[in-house]
Amino acid sequence: MDTKQSRGFFAPRISADTADFWRGCAEHKLLIQRCKSCGKLRWPAGHFCDSCLGEDTELCEMSGRGTVYAWEVFHKPFHPSLEDKVPYIVAEIDLEEGVRILSNLEGCEPSEVRCGSAVELVWRDCEDYTSPVFVLKKAE
Amino acid sequence: MDLSHLKNKIAVVGVGYTPQGKVPGRTAASFHVEAVKNALADAGLTKEDIGALVLYRHFDAIGGDYETTAFTVAEQLGVSPTLISQEHQCTRGWLFNAVGLLTAGLVNYVVISYGDNSRSGRRSFVKELSGGKATDELAAYGDLSTMAKYAMLARRAMEKYGTGPHVWKEISIAQRRWAQLNPMAGMYGKPLDEAGYYAANLVVDPFRLLDATPSSDGGRAVVLTTAERAKGMKNPPVYLRGIGSANRPVSPFRLCLEDENSAARVSSREAFAMAGITHRDVDACELYDCFTYTVEATLRDYGFFKPGEEGSFLSAERLGPSGDFPVNTSGGMLSEGYFMGLTPLAEAVMQLRGACGERQLGAVSGTKQPEIIVCSDNGGVFQSHVTLVLSREER
Repeated sequence: MDTKQSRGFFAPRISADTADFWRGCAEHKLLIQRCKSCGKLRWPAGHFCDSCLGEDTELCEMSGRGTVYAWEVFHKPFHPSLEDKVPYIVAEIDLEEGVRILSNLEGCEPSEVRCGSAVELVWRDCEDYTSPVFVLKKAE
Repeated sequence: MDLSHLKNKIAVVGVGYTPQGKVPGRTAASFHVEAVKNALADAGLTKEDIGALVLYRHFDAIGGDYETTAFTVAEQLGVSPTLISQEHQCTRGWLFNAVGLLTAGLVNYVVISYGDNSRSGRRSFVKELSGGKATDELAAYGDLSTMAKYAMLARRAMEKYGTGPHVWKEISIAQRRWAQLNPMAGMYGKPLDEAGYYAANLVVDPFRLLDATPSSDGGRAVVLTTAERAKGMKNPPVYLRGIGSANRPVSPFRLCLEDENSAARVSSREAFAMAGITHRDVDACELYDCFTYTVEATLRDYGFFKPGEEGSFLSAERLGPSGDFPVNTSGGMLSEGYFMGLTPLAEAVMQLRGACGERQLGAVSGTKQPEIIVCSDNGGVFQSHVTLVLSREER
């Protein structure tokens, strides 16, 4: 499922460490860095593993399934361009592979969300960037 | 780490205030200078006595200011200390730096200072954007503001422990009540009740505007020295009976509410052990309160109550004037003024000196004169923390 939006929030500032992640997003792949020495997944990515300080890394595609660790609703537009976007939900998502990422929850009311809610990935294609966002998993 | 050899070796001997609240037409550096000048006078020292000048971090220059650095503040003070430094971002290194410098005998007096013109300059606490462009990748999700980072853990605590606005309003009201006894407080003469708290707009749900500390103009400084040198100085020394320092330097979204080794937990365990005290020995707490929730989280992490007991422990009656568990007796950052960790530290020192006028513990009905006050300083988003157990007596 794709949610098409003409405009996202703000195009991310992309560093040498985070470039692979955002390149994956452009291809609709949720690529998370894994240390080839100790196997640790990490987001945000870094040049060296924060566990073993190993330098060899690989990119692993995540399933896109996870649960909400915590969430919040922005009511105040912290920038004039957000006036027509509030309220919106920012959430911390624990991916089932064992790494946490920050994202948005879309297509639901705040009253439907709980810490622990099961979620799944959808892609948000904006004019200038593509980001992973999540929706509540529908009951089987 | 066993720090008991440092027990009562260092004392706070000077506190400096400035006009605060809305004080237009002033640079941030000028507030540093005034706070340091007044702290030196309070300690009975001259500016040449400053061995080390340590500034809290400074945010971006606003209101026409040039950058506020340790160089500019030292220049405006007209001093050339042995050591000058400024903390970057919100790391909280000043305490252990000061204690190390003094116990090693590298300098005789350390001055810690903070100053800002954030109210007149209308400081924004949105660092994820600069000129409308993202400074990081979190802006891609609209994750803006420091408040939002704290609100995440507050939400988690709401759902896991049953806390929430019904508890945070109690913290807010208690501190506002203290501020009514403090003519220097920004919220002096502006009482707050439950309806007033709930009437404030939701900013980042679960936080309302009144869950956040307002910005203020002004400065604050303290002078530290060895206990030996502190004896016979102008004002009675307040001893550092216990200290702790810990860091959890991960991106805020990676922090866990349930972390047994959160910075506040580790730091407070160290400080309490060094001081040789239990929670029952504590007469009052002066805590870093950037948000109402920060007070709750700090007290929980310090072990004053267990997860789930927030609603029964944290009431305006207990925390406020005449309560049995006084917290943030100046009004705190929420209701007095925002001077980072020097808001709580200055108040702790003044309470232990007995210099707090109408809000003095022991003078307020139903309270006792304090012997031991626990003080916290928190930086980043629960990422950097120091704890001080302050004592009036050298024991």
